[in-house]
Amino acid sequence: MTTRRSFLQSTGSGFGYLAFSALSALAAQRVGAAATNPLAPKTSHFPAKAKRVIFLAMQGAPSHVDTFDYKPQLTKDHGKDARGFAKLLGSPFEFSQHGGSGLPISELFPHVAGHADDLCLINSMHTDLPNHPQATTQMHTGNFQFVRPSLGAWTLYGLGTENDSLPGFITLAPPNGAQNYGSAFLPAIYQGTPIGRQARNRFVTKDKQAAVSNLSNPRLDRDLQRVQLDYVKSLNMEKLKHDKHNPEVEGIIESYELAFRMQDELPDVLDIAEEPKSIRKLYGLDQGNNNFARQCLSARRLAEAGVRFIQINHGNWDHHRNLVNGLRQNCGEIDKPIAGLLADLKQRDMLKDTLVIWAGEFGRTPHGQSTNGRDHNNKGYSLWMAGGGVKGGLRYGSTDEHGYQAVENKVHIHDWHATILHLLGLNHDQLTYRYAGRDFRLTDVHGNVVKDIVA
Amino acid sequence: MIRKITFRGNYSLSPKLFRVDPVEYLNSHAMKVARFLFPFLAAPLAISAQEVSPSSGSMFTSQQTEFFESKIRPALIKHCYKCHAEEGDKVKGGLLLDTRASTQSGGDSGPAVVPFDLAQSLLITAIRYDDSSLEMPPKYKLDAEIIADFEKWIEMGAPDPRERRKSSGAPEEYTSTIDIEEGRKHWAYQVPAKPTTPTEFTENEWVRDPIDAFVRARQEEAGFDAPGEADARTILRRLHFDLVGLPPAAEELTRFISSYESDPDAAVAAVVDQLLETEQFGERWGRRWLDVARYGESSGKETNATFPHAWRYRDYVIDSFNEDKPFNQFITEQLAGDLLDAENKEDAAENIIATGFLALGTKGLNEQNARQFRFDLVDEQIDTTTQAFLGTTAACARCHDHKFDPIPMSDYYSLAGIFLSSDTLFGTAEALQNRKATELINLPASLAGGSASKSVGELIDLEMQVDMLQERLNELNVEARTARREGDNERATQIRQQTLGLRNRVGINRRILDSYGDSGNAIPVAMGMKDRPEPFDAQILIRGEEDNPTEARAPRGFLEVIETNDEEPITSKESGRLQMAHWITSPENPLTARVFVNRVWTWMFGEGIVRSVDNFGTTGEAPTHPELLDYLAVRFHELDWSVKDLVREIATSGTYRMSSEHNKVAFEKDPENMHLWRFNKRRLDAEAIRDATLAVSGELDPERPNGSLVSQAGDGFVGRNIQELQLNAPTDVRSVYLPIVRGLVPESLALFDFADPSLLSGKREITTVPSQALYMMNSDFVIQNAEAMARELAGELNLRGGPLVVEAFQRCYSRPPTAEEGRKTKAFIDRFLATAEESGIEQERARILALTSFCQSLISSAEFRYLN
Repeated sequence: MTTRRSFLQSTGSGFGYLAFSALSALAAQRVGAAATNPLAPKTSHFPAKAKRVIFLAMQGAPSHVDTFDYKPQLTKDHGKDARGFAKLLGSPFEFSQHGGSGLPISELFPHVAGHADDLCLINSMHTDLPNHPQATTQMHTGNFQFVRPSLGAWTLYGLGTENDSLPGFITLAPPNGAQNYGSAFLPAIYQGTPIGRQARNRFVTKDKQAAVSNLSNPRLDRDLQRVQLDYVKSLNMEKLKHDKHNPEVEGIIESYELAFRMQDELPDVLDIAEEPKSIRKLYGLDQGNNNFARQCLSARRLAEAGVRFIQINHGNWDHHRNLVNGLRQNCGEIDKPIAGLLADLKQRDMLKDTLVIWAGEFGRTPHGQSTNGRDHNNKGYSLWMAGGGVKGGLRYGSTDEHGYQAVENKVHIHDWHATILHLLGLNHDQLTYRYAGRDFRLTDVHGNVVKDIVA
Repeated sequence: MIRKITFRGNYSLSPKLFRVDPVEYLNSHAMKVARFLFPFLAAPLAISAQEVSPSSGSMFTSQQTEFFESKIRPALIKHCYKCHAEEGDKVKGGLLLDTRASTQSGGDSGPAVVPFDLAQSLLITAIRYDDSSLEMPPKYKLDAEIIADFEKWIEMGAPDPRERRKSSGAPEEYTSTIDIEEGRKHWAYQVPAKPTTPTEFTENEWVRDPIDAFVRARQEEAGFDAPGEADARTILRRLHFDLVGLPPAAEELTRFISSYESDPDAAVAAVVDQLLETEQFGERWGRRWLDVARYGESSGKETNATFPHAWRYRDYVIDSFNEDKPFNQFITEQLAGDLLDAENKEDAAENIIATGFLALGTKGLNEQNARQFRFDLVDEQIDTTTQAFLGTTAACARCHDHKFDPIPMSDYYSLAGIFLSSDTLFGTAEALQNRKATELINLPASLAGGSASKSVGELIDLEMQVDMLQERLNELNVEARTARREGDNERATQIRQQTLGLRNRVGINRRILDSYGDSGNAIPVAMGMKDRPEPFDAQILIRGEEDNPTEARAPRGFLEVIETNDEEPITSKESGRLQMAHWITSPENPLTARVFVNRVWTWMFGEGIVRSVDNFGTTGEAPTHPELLDYLAVRFHELDWSVKDLVREIATSGTYRMSSEHNKVAFEKDPENMHLWRFNKRRLDAEAIRDATLAVSGELDPERPNGSLVSQAGDGFVGRNIQELQLNAPTDVRSVYLPIVRGLVPESLALFDFADPSLLSGKREITTVPSQALYMMNSDFVIQNAEAMARELAGELNLRGGPLVVEAFQRCYSRPPTAEEGRKTKAFIDRFLATAEESGIEQERARILALTSFCQSLISSAEFRYLN
């Protein structure tokens, strides 16, 4: 097998992309001839149901008993003592059944409910800690103690991407915590590229103005810039040669190449202005400046352009108080755009191989915190997935009668990760990366694929 | 003669209209101008600090509570509860008036009672029968006397002791489940003792002092070879970037290399001494502290009001590091500077500015519930204080005992009492989305600065604007009332909408007017803290719910797990901030020195001895070198908390000179470098990348600016009257002086992992993403600096060919190019010029483009932003 060093030496001035995969025997086997580009598509372990992922991450932990986990007994027991110190709080929202499958969904999601037959609700999720930072990190990386690669980075490492002029993993308007889209010990090229910042509460300011700045050079044409970048690359190669081992420098080299290609591709992909009125309406973009709707529409365009893993972020779900209005507002912001995204993917025949995931880092307690709020709950919560080879119209697993903890067909974060990789055609036991003498996995030594939800 | 100007009909409110001749205006508005010229006649500045007290039962005086009980509660029960109480017949309009929380949050139409604000309190509108669509009680109007009582009540801040509905039963009780004694066993709560310095080594070439002995002992113990030493150039770059955040000049390098050859220890010691004495040291180290202090110049969150005076705290921090203020004093000033004795007005002012530390956190200014706002503010202060100085996450204990560390809720509320007994004065402009503005603290006139002065004419203009806006507002209110009376609710709502913007403009302009003295000079003020006249102990809130207090109060105090023998009692007259500061800086406090020396280590080595730098609790990481950590902590006490001395000891150690060279065997064994088997390779942080770019191009403006772009922009709301462009105007000052508006961090910093100013951050993340590459390739900042560098080299220095290339490499990398690099550079220039010719670019322009592109390439390369 070619080692990274010998490859670098043998290719002279050309950059040894194989350097990245040389550390992993499995990767080296699978990448074969495409080895010169770490972003080149790779064959999956077995035929994939899903080719790409759109992950709708709800930061702050949405209440499951008010959205996707229907708990009639909780309503009946409203006001009764719970766990000796609090009172049960029945959902102030109505649930009703939708679609042929009759999935119960709260009134907060009238549009998403229209896609009930495509949704696979997992009502029996659980995670290790009821703290936001740790649980968020665990949701993204499987591990809250150590810095580990994120789900998106693993996906990109496992499958490459179909458009190497765009980052293979893009996260739109992410909140703080680069670790959640980081690559840790995987090569930096697999790191998520953030576009827009949540702190600004802004993804795209105007239709034409993309959230990525510096996309063109005011002075140099592409030929001259190429000459410049070749020189930058030669300087970086010198440093790499001198340092012997420096993954950060390799990452910088890669990022220049990708950035150069992105200049042509990204502005068009992010230009949602060219979408017809009917499509904009579908996402609810006709109703004012809806940041989240823009993200959803952009996600579809990025998916179409071949981006492997797209994450959309939405914040402020931590409803210790103001549950009623807070949930109403949040759900109001995301309901139509998500429904639009699902409908749009479907009409383009992309839903079948696009895995759409809606999830927060944990759920909330069935008992109230004051009369209008709920506390953190990691013992039982819900998420849903759609398309990409999951069974639609399914309600999988359950919590107890009040929704406090998962009791039936429990699904841990590791199981969920294993299942996502499975849908992407990757075996979570085999997707490994050798680092410091050990093979690492997204699921560590855990994880069982939830076969029952796979179509 | 007094002539009244009134506007009628449709007119625009553009400021142009208000450019009336000041003389005419003086005549016409004699009274108003009198108020302006004679400030003692002026309306009180915003609200006074006292009045900002949250409307809490426990936080009001007994007279206030008595007023509520005798006047308000009976009236509410008699006239309102029938339809607006949970136990009433039915609840109308979604409004419940039977608890404080529900009264303030209001019903379908909005908040019924807004403390201090009659105009915003719908209850007043309703009982006055001002609005025919909202007349309460519906069947009869209350006696004028009762109405006056309600008005008085709201003006005093609507004191309201009603916590919960009666039906909820007796208040819940709190009992702790934490075993403090057991918790004390955690390593971080043991007072550090000076460990014995190891002396036996098989390899000890670079072991110079105890620091090296501890590091080498750990290496040997784990079987690592002793790493070699870095070369002189690498050491000098480390020293420069770590101590002052800028690259060494070429002549410094030459001097250092030769003195290093003859006596390395002396050479390093001399450079360290020299760098510690520069102003740039404070700018570098101060900025690092500002990460921990979550320094920002706006309130953040939705409202994002500017803090135009926050920069004073920034300068205070920089100056403190430059003066080598003992760190214990630095802590005390930040927590309780206002309570310290000072020799003169200037020192007193500095102490007050220091307490800006507690005042400049993020704030949810649009929180409707005043009590909730107050608790959130205090929570932020507790969180910041305990993490910054103690590496402890006490804020977890707001709602329940800490799940991992031995911190019961009672500890949290002991600290909360201290902060609740203090007023946090952060300023900001009044507006619809901000009813939480406070006054600020006046400083001596000698400290004026930061804001542009305004001419008297400008101020008069502004005053006129406010008057006219107010007049227009009054008209609109009348119109709205008329419309409602005529049953045209749609129009009434429309008019109400119109008033919103006007009211904000009035609020902002009033604040601006209040910031200026008669002559048009900005009045120097600071954000900071003040003790309240009547300190009190906080009630423990069940699950942290503001409307769910226990009977029990937590006596003001500190964390039980950390007992020091020199704790001072908190008297009934004091908030306890000073005692808290003394407890934190006590030599017996096991955390404070450890946490800070660990921060220093992180800033100089890239990783801490405890890697979870802000968390020394049980969920944090254990120290990789526990004895070294304790040695440094004890040493810090011995050095009388001198930061410069501590930095000097570390910078002159052999450990600091270790090579960062890769070692395959060691890497396989310890990829995270836990044993410090080599120096960490580090990427420069955002400020150093930007400052170095300015430095190599000769464009760096080393002067400290007067204030900040935020103080120049003044009071207001980001995205409303304060625009992004205004805040991000190009400037060549050091990065520490760039405006740090929350949510709008300048791109040059944000792209390279600048710490989120909303959150305390002891260590930044490092990302490598294409947006950084795009910035280096295409941003105006990089291109313009590259061009400045090219023009300086080729123009002023008149360099050509080889010498130009050497000079450029020296500036950017502190070394000449290798022969290979020389060849590649030449090939690049040739190819660039040939390509430019093909593109039809004329020769002279092509030459400048090529040189610019060359300089830009050096700035963009990995070596520019990585330290070996």
